[in-house]
Amino acid sequence: MNMNGSAVLCEGLSVTYGDVTAVDRVTFDVQPGEVFGLLGPNGAGKTSVVRALTTVLDPSAGRAEVAGIPLDNPNGLRALIGVLPESNGYPGSETALGYLRFYGQLFGIPATESADRAESLLWQFGLGANAHQSISTFSRGMRQRLGIARSLMNEPQVLFLDEPTLGLDPAGREDVLSHLTSAVAANGTGVVLCSHLLDDVERVCDRVAILDQGRIVAAGTVGNVIEAAGIGGTMRISVVPEAAGRALESLLNLPQVARAESNSSRLGEIDIDLVEPEPHANQILSLLLGAKIEIRGVQLEGARLSDAFLKLTQREGER
Amino acid sequence: MTARSARASWIVIAVHELRGLWLSAKGLTVLFGYTILLSIMAFIAASEAQLNLLDARESVGIVVQMAIGLGTLAALVVSADAISGERERDTLEALLVTPVSRRALVIGKMVGASSMWLAGIVVAVPYVVAMANGPGVAADALFVLVVAGSLVGASLTALGIAISAVAMSNRVSLAAGVGVLLVFAAPSQLPAVTAKGALGAVLVAANPVSAGLKLAGLVLIDQETLASQWTLLISPVVAAVVLTYLAIRLSSRVRLGGAR
Repeated sequence: MNMNGSAVLCEGLSVTYGDVTAVDRVTFDVQPGEVFGLLGPNGAGKTSVVRALTTVLDPSAGRAEVAGIPLDNPNGLRALIGVLPESNGYPGSETALGYLRFYGQLFGIPATESADRAESLLWQFGLGANAHQSISTFSRGMRQRLGIARSLMNEPQVLFLDEPTLGLDPAGREDVLSHLTSAVAANGTGVVLCSHLLDDVERVCDRVAILDQGRIVAAGTVGNVIEAAGIGGTMRISVVPEAAGRALESLLNLPQVARAESNSSRLGEIDIDLVEPEPHANQILSLLLGAKIEIRGVQLEGARLSDAFLKLTQREGER
Repeated sequence: MTARSARASWIVIAVHELRGLWLSAKGLTVLFGYTILLSIMAFIAASEAQLNLLDARESVGIVVQMAIGLGTLAALVVSADAISGERERDTLEALLVTPVSRRALVIGKMVGASSMWLAGIVVAVPYVVAMANGPGVAADALFVLVVAGSLVGASLTALGIAISAVAMSNRVSLAAGVGVLLVFAAPSQLPAVTAKGALGAVLVAANPVSAGLKLAGLVLIDQETLASQWTLLISPVVAAVVLTYLAIRLSSRVRLGGAR
């Protein structure tokens, strides 16, 4: 780890391809044992950041340390990291065990120890029974789990996972994430997770950064990012059907309400988008009760990361 | 990390390459094609020898020349796939994020690909021994096959790896490799008059492929001694050293997107 104990310390990192700036002065840090989500639309620069931090690409500016090792010591740095690249191919003719053993040996682990570690990881990731099976027979989910197992062969201090759940069905995603979080929690590994799947990110990440056109547009905990995006929550109120029209009229006059609509399929239900979450919800309930409107039910939901993501990354014309 | 008892990373890569080549269909398929073509040429040469159209030395000489030509082509095909193939199959990035240096990666790949030519020698030996009509001819033929052939094989393997290190795709790598091989083979197509002139002799001797083939022809067909023709080994030696050095130098250019 570096001087301040960060698993990843990235300061003003830029990556250019010819005249195109893919990553523009990106700064963030990841602490040991923390899962850090790097989010962004296609082409935002997530993969370029990961490739620069894993020494696959040379950054054009800035500095970074991973596990306390600067980028100018690539072999030393790579010995301490595990990586699941975005487009990760597999040699179909090899067995899962042979594949992991080979990678273990590339990290300097002797063959026998590497085979033992490979076998243990295969069991941990639910592939123990398939250890001697050729990878060509594996489903996509099995390959993803194999890729994550491979990235853990050297017991890394920092793990980079680029779209680990891409293309998996919900059960496969759940499977990969639960294996990942349990494997990481045990070792205090710092994780950089790139994903489009915001529900996954919301579930497993301690902090996130949203990249757009190579720049970080918001960073912090999920709550911080939602707050920074200035997005309120949503609310659903059930009132007696006869009072629904009156309630809707009152709600639409309130500055705290961004949108209010009667639910056409359920009489007496009104869906409301709030400018900000909870304090406004209390004011709305007080107003309705003050107007002697009988409330039968209330459902309050905070804003989601996906709402913040869309707000922060959509261009003017797309809104 | 228990690095002391671990193998050097280039050896790990080389062993992995050898397994990949010979335990999968790839190496065996290329070797099968090589064997079929060599068998056809050996059959034709042996038939002509039986009809007294060729003497035994000539037929052995033709087989050795074919073995060198086809074997080095096979080595080139395999080595041209070594790195650009990883790039194309999306398996290169996983290798590049291990602590293995690019140089160790290239050396390991080169060692693995060299086994193609060694397998070619093993396959050709029985043909040469069976067609030679005496131990003297067999010894000369085996010497030319092993020494000249190995130097040419090593040169083209290193060339294939060097191209593969920087090529964007397998097709580009293979096409460039075969293109260079055709350029190397061009002096053998020179008109007889030109080939016998001073310029022709220099062109043939300076080119490692044509020099190797010429040595086979002179020693086995024209019954020249090896000692009198040793200068024809200079360009294969130089090519093997220079191209191997070039491949290792180009290892720093092994990148995900090729040498863009």
